[in-house]
Amino acid sequence: METDEINAGIKAAQINNALGFFIITFGVIVLFAMIYTETFVEHMTDMVAGLILISIGGGMMWKAKSNIKKLKAKQE
Amino acid sequence: MLAGIDYFIVIAYIIGMLLLGLYFKKFVNSSEDYFLGGKSLPFWAIGMSIVVSDIGALDFVGVSGQAYRYGISVGNFDWVGSVPAMLLAAFIFIPYFWRGGMYTIPEYLGRRYNQKVRTIASVTWILFFALDLGVLFWASAVLLNVLMGWPIWISIISTAGVVGLYTYFGGITAVIMTDVVQFVIMFIGGFALVFLSLYEVGGWDNMVDKIATMGPEYRNHFDIIQPQDTKSPFPWTGILFGLTFVMANAYMIGNQSIVQRCLTAKNEWHAKASMIFGSALKMFIPILVLFPGLMAVVVHPGLADGDQALPMMIKSILPPGLVGLMFAAFFAGLMSSVDSLLNSTATLFTKDIYEPFIKKGADDKHYLKVGQITTLVLLVIGVATSPISSDFPGIYVAIQTFMSYFQGPIFAILLLGIFWKRTTEWGGLSALVIGIGFAIFLNVFKERFFTIEDPFLYISWWSFLLGFIINVTVSLLTKKHTEEQLQGLVFSSKILVKNKSL
Repeated sequence: METDEINAGIKAAQINNALGFFIITFGVIVLFAMIYTETFVEHMTDMVAGLILISIGGGMMWKAKSNIKKLKAKQE
Repeated sequence: MLAGIDYFIVIAYIIGMLLLGLYFKKFVNSSEDYFLGGKSLPFWAIGMSIVVSDIGALDFVGVSGQAYRYGISVGNFDWVGSVPAMLLAAFIFIPYFWRGGMYTIPEYLGRRYNQKVRTIASVTWILFFALDLGVLFWASAVLLNVLMGWPIWISIISTAGVVGLYTYFGGITAVIMTDVVQFVIMFIGGFALVFLSLYEVGGWDNMVDKIATMGPEYRNHFDIIQPQDTKSPFPWTGILFGLTFVMANAYMIGNQSIVQRCLTAKNEWHAKASMIFGSALKMFIPILVLFPGLMAVVVHPGLADGDQALPMMIKSILPPGLVGLMFAAFFAGLMSSVDSLLNSTATLFTKDIYEPFIKKGADDKHYLKVGQITTLVLLVIGVATSPISSDFPGIYVAIQTFMSYFQGPIFAILLLGIFWKRTTEWGGLSALVIGIGFAIFLNVFKERFFTIEDPFLYISWWSFLLGFIINVTVSLLTKKHTEEQLQGLVFSSKILVKNKSL
């Protein structure tokens, strides 16, 4: 793999890591907002939405970190 | 006005967007990074960004309002009004733009026709985008004023500050990646709204039954195809000829802010895939946007202003937390529209006006600086002109009408330019000028020619048709281009296969 490709891969992974962190943060906030809900349906909606956001954000961060690790190893 | 957790979420979202956008500064070292993201972005991010950029906050509210008033026929704009055009763009047009290493659509027109066509097309887009900026700043300010209670000027300056900073430093990478976040949040909030709205109205069948009993004005609410004499702005003839044949293609193929995103792709496969992925996502938009408007007919009947349907549904249906998140996504939608306009206008000015006419052959850092300074100047113009929008409530409609003036003729010359070798520089130039002039004429005398109130779909169709005919006629009478001049610019079936040499 060429250096340019590795650098592009690292750049993409860094971007995904930042996006994942942002999305995960909002997932946590939505989960926290559950304490302000009144009905069961509202409670469940916040919980499902928060968990989906956390899963998407977490997935992006996990994939990005593993890619960065792999690409840095190749770079060395 | 929002309070508590929802207020906190909107503030956190705005600050988070700023920080996220500024983070992308580290990826901008050249003008290619600034305008085309270093040609390194993946298809999924570009596809999401295209969808978000197309369906901004004003459209989100507007489409729900139209669904409330006229029913599901407004969904045509996202189905037949987007998907076929996006597929055509993906397989035919995008590969030529991408392989040609182009930055702007007018750059293609310049190579295919001549410099005059490039300049006229570019100046028209710059004018349109610059006018639109003020409107979007005002709309953002009104939204912040209503949601947060901030004074209008503080709202305008904070919007300009946040969007301006991350677009200035992060360029198109910041624009696209902030769109990705917005997309995720908009989809999750949107599906939650649809699910809870259906629960509230007692299911789809129950809603259809209730709306059917509400009176004759709701008789056509579930007809996707409206008769030609409908009172709604969406008669089938306008949808087919004006929207599907002209405006949709002109928007997806000839709109700088859409196509520029595809040109940031890391390779040609990703460029094409971004449009195809975007078209798949587009099919869900009516569900997210149109259904809440429709369900509002049952939940909030008799609203004087249909555009209130979506905000009312969000406030009354969604739980705390998601209300803030959805309004944050609305605000982000407006920010996304502003940042797209800023970056695309800076690209058009730098590449189509500054580089050929003001300073040719300067080093790359110079053009990067020009792009950034143009962004700042546009920001100031947008802020300064935004109060004009408050004096003219119909200015948004007027600007959309202005867009219909040139979409038809530009699409006519793009279509003939790529598919017909015989079209000449004079054919293109005369089609563009006469076509735009004809669209203005039709709009001025619209009462004499059309029976519906807002005939923008018909105007774009007739101006396209005239532009097409003029281009063919003049081209047949003038000197044609040589084969060498046309290399890589006109359609060849080889573009559909993997081989990259044309």
